[in-house]
Amino acid sequence: MVLFIVIAAVSILGVLFRQTYLRFETATAAEGKIQASSRAKTYIVWLGSQAKTIVSGESYKNAKVVLGDWTRDHYPGWLKWIFIGLGSSFAYLAASGLFFAVFIPRGMFGFPLLGHVMVGGLFALSLAATLLWRGRDYRLDKAEEAVFEGFSCPVFKNLSKTFLRKILFWAFALFGVVQAATALGSMLPIFTYETQQAMIVVHRYSALAIVLTAIVFVDITFVPQRRP
Amino acid sequence: MVASAIPGSSPFSTHTKWKRAKKIKILGILGIGFALCSAFAATTNSQKWSGSQTTPVHQIPLKDEFNQAIVPTEKNPLPFSARYSCAPCHDYSVIRQGLHFSSGTAQPAGRPGEPWIWVDERTGTLLPLSYRPSKGLWNPKDLGLSEWDFTLLFGRHMAGGGITEPDDKEMTPGSRWNVSGKIEINCLGCHNAARRQDSSEWAKQVLRENFRWAATAASGLGEVGGMASRLKPTWDVFDGPNPDDSEWAVAPSVKYDKTLFDSKHRLFFDLSYKPEDARCLACHAVAPVSLRKFEFEEDVHSAAGIKCAGCHRHDVSHVMVRGYEGEAADNPALPAEDFTCKACHLGDVTSKGEKIRPGRLGAPYPLHKGIPAVHIERLACTVCHSGPLPAKEPARVRTARANRLGIFGVADWTTELPAVQEPVYLRDKSGKLTPHRLTWPSFWARVKEDEVTPLKPEEVLAAAGDILFPERYVTRILAGLFNVAELDGPPALIMNGKAYELNVDGGLDATAYEGEGTSGAYFWAAKKDGKFLPLFADFDPANPETSAEPEAKIQKILEALTASEAAPGKPVLAFKGFLYQIVENYLDKAEKKDPAGPAPRFSWLKEGQVLPFIPEAERAMIIALTGSEQTLTEEQVARVLKVLGETDHAFISSGKMFRLNTKGTLEAREDEAAAPVAWPLAHQVRSARQSLGVNGCTDCHSFGSKFFFAEVKAAGPLRTESAAVRSASSFMGLSGIYHRLFGLSFAVRPAFKVVLFICAFVAGSLLLIMFLITLGRFAGIIEKRR
Repeated sequence: MVLFIVIAAVSILGVLFRQTYLRFETATAAEGKIQASSRAKTYIVWLGSQAKTIVSGESYKNAKVVLGDWTRDHYPGWLKWIFIGLGSSFAYLAASGLFFAVFIPRGMFGFPLLGHVMVGGLFALSLAATLLWRGRDYRLDKAEEAVFEGFSCPVFKNLSKTFLRKILFWAFALFGVVQAATALGSMLPIFTYETQQAMIVVHRYSALAIVLTAIVFVDITFVPQRRP
Repeated sequence: MVASAIPGSSPFSTHTKWKRAKKIKILGILGIGFALCSAFAATTNSQKWSGSQTTPVHQIPLKDEFNQAIVPTEKNPLPFSARYSCAPCHDYSVIRQGLHFSSGTAQPAGRPGEPWIWVDERTGTLLPLSYRPSKGLWNPKDLGLSEWDFTLLFGRHMAGGGITEPDDKEMTPGSRWNVSGKIEINCLGCHNAARRQDSSEWAKQVLRENFRWAATAASGLGEVGGMASRLKPTWDVFDGPNPDDSEWAVAPSVKYDKTLFDSKHRLFFDLSYKPEDARCLACHAVAPVSLRKFEFEEDVHSAAGIKCAGCHRHDVSHVMVRGYEGEAADNPALPAEDFTCKACHLGDVTSKGEKIRPGRLGAPYPLHKGIPAVHIERLACTVCHSGPLPAKEPARVRTARANRLGIFGVADWTTELPAVQEPVYLRDKSGKLTPHRLTWPSFWARVKEDEVTPLKPEEVLAAAGDILFPERYVTRILAGLFNVAELDGPPALIMNGKAYELNVDGGLDATAYEGEGTSGAYFWAAKKDGKFLPLFADFDPANPETSAEPEAKIQKILEALTASEAAPGKPVLAFKGFLYQIVENYLDKAEKKDPAGPAPRFSWLKEGQVLPFIPEAERAMIIALTGSEQTLTEEQVARVLKVLGETDHAFISSGKMFRLNTKGTLEAREDEAAAPVAWPLAHQVRSARQSLGVNGCTDCHSFGSKFFFAEVKAAGPLRTESAAVRSASSFMGLSGIYHRLFGLSFAVRPAFKVVLFICAFVAGSLLLIMFLITLGRFAGIIEKRR
């Protein structure tokens, strides 16, 4: 459990750092080169200012607009409920799961667990619906397929944002399916205690993976990019 | 402890005491030296196992408590002493450290065990005691119970040694150890393989205060007569038989079964290295109250042939493996974790979690298919695999020590109370739910501010007097009527649809009465051929021709009642307008109108006042209590509290504290002292196919789950409507509302699983398709897009 907490903390902070640092670099590119000695300090100040922006009412309004636009474009009509279901269920599952895994030694129990299981059902339903109705939006196109053709390391270098989003979408779906399968598996009278334990571990780590995937996906999809 | 050693002489020989004492001193020193050497030799030589798996034949000379060889043909031989008979090979002082012999120590011995329960039915005392500190248990020392008192109360089910064998300096005034002797460790109580070993006999000898004779009598090696309890406190084992009394105060003596000895006075002990289960069960038996003997299922391990001692092992120290999880932390010297459920059924695991070999004897490996891992982590194995299955209410069981089981004879030793209930699930030290047995304490107490101090039953009895004996109003009449030869049979009282008769203990037994005349007042009868007849036939007192014979009978009855024990006045009989009484040894008959009617009515006449044979309140008590396990009514409790002191006394029972309020009426309130006392249960273990959960999650998770919502109702000696009632979940420290809702979720869970499966299948299939297409294109199998 301690190992998971360490891995979770390092990976989430690492991804957050990477994503914010990329934005910081983009944002400060226009201002010319920042000296290496003051780079860390400038980054922290920038991070503070961003945080202030996020908690402001303006930021909430912007998020609402961006999400509204996204929903209208990608989930028109009744399909918006799929997006709302997926987004809200994922938010609850991630928050409750990570909180209890990291801060409560006993793990999840009581009403949060009951909620976790029930919301998990909504998530699985929304995920399946998303893949059915919106999976086609994330098909690879010719240019992206060419990346695989010229398979070389590092494979993700200079990936287009669209391609990265598609990869993240399918990764999200994959981890989501693992989440649903392991949850279902622990309810069936099939698997032994050892397998159940292994499934809990798989559930936990795939949950971490799906959170990391979601962070990057949200960052590159919903957070407006300031042009240099 | 070695008092003397007189080679070649019986303690009852013709030596004078002072001569003997002198010899004792000299030889005693030699004896001690010899004993120490023997003990040392035993410790150093015999405690190490050579590897032989045979048990040596125990054809050995018996020694008495003075380390003298016992010659069974001698006159008045002493009982054998385990300390000295076993000493040449087994170190008594080491064995004395054992779990069964150290209950008097204040050292905790791991998780709580069953407490000793001081039962006094008359005062309604059910006081859980232990020298080992544990929540809800009272230390006997704090209650003023000496080792002597404790031994008399519980020696019946003790294994000897420890507090039943105190050092001379620990002997308290008022004790009679010098008469009774001490109770040495009763080795044969466990290790005797002979079927003659009799735990009943042990209990009876202990109750007779024949402590030093108890082991000999119980083992069947000899026949013990006499009662130390009837001897003067100055009697000493050297005094021998009581020359003044061969009927009542007979000194205990033993007659050995000479056929058991060889020509060298050696006796063959039929011993088992591992005690038979029956020996353990003499003190550790537990059985549901509602079952008949043939319906009782034994522990699955016992049924499979595993003996108690197969798991509960120990070395010569007798420090025993109890076999619960976490025992190794409580007692690091023990190989305890090797004998837990897990150790046998899961096998050994390395620090990395890899299994290296199966458990002991290749015990079945549980797969626990479909049981979420949290159950294994948060529940003890015994939750699902031991004790009765959860029901609407926990099962009432009797335990050997609490309810005095296994003592057979004419008298019934078994007590209905304390009411022990199981299973009730509580958390152990590690936070795991564990099935427990539970009982509710009951006692009178002095309450000063918040401090509760239990009163001894004798203090309550002394203060309460007749209040606690309402049946005496009936028994003294019935006992008096027993002496009337003219009656048709044994007397009885017919009241409220029941016939009340005297029992062998001088109390009352009630049986159903379906005859006439039970409505309204009670009447006295005689039992003939199973039928209850009036004490005398109906007659007309005004007619001298027909009244002579019945009046002669009335005279005999009134005479007998006059002489009855504690008669509060002169007995009189009112019958059809006449009043009969004995005046100067003659039956006096006077006309007197009786408003009660024509039925015969007996009363006491005291200083011109007519008193009923059975006052109204006592009648109600007798009706309420006779034939039930309760021994007290709220009315009695209120009366006794008034006598003890209204403001600073209380009666604790049925999970509540009963006190008198300012208006003088009884009031029940919550108090920590009234909380139940619980201890974990481990047996009877059930097989996997009979375990809890074998029928699926709903065995426990349902809206009205018996596991979570069984009703635990406090039971005790008080007849009350105010008894505490708790839900099983409250003992677990769990939210009842949550588990109701959680249980409810299992009603829709099958549908939920189907939905989840379909979603996972659809999403997984699409993922697979996407993966295969991409793979196909990458491999060139599927045509690339243009």
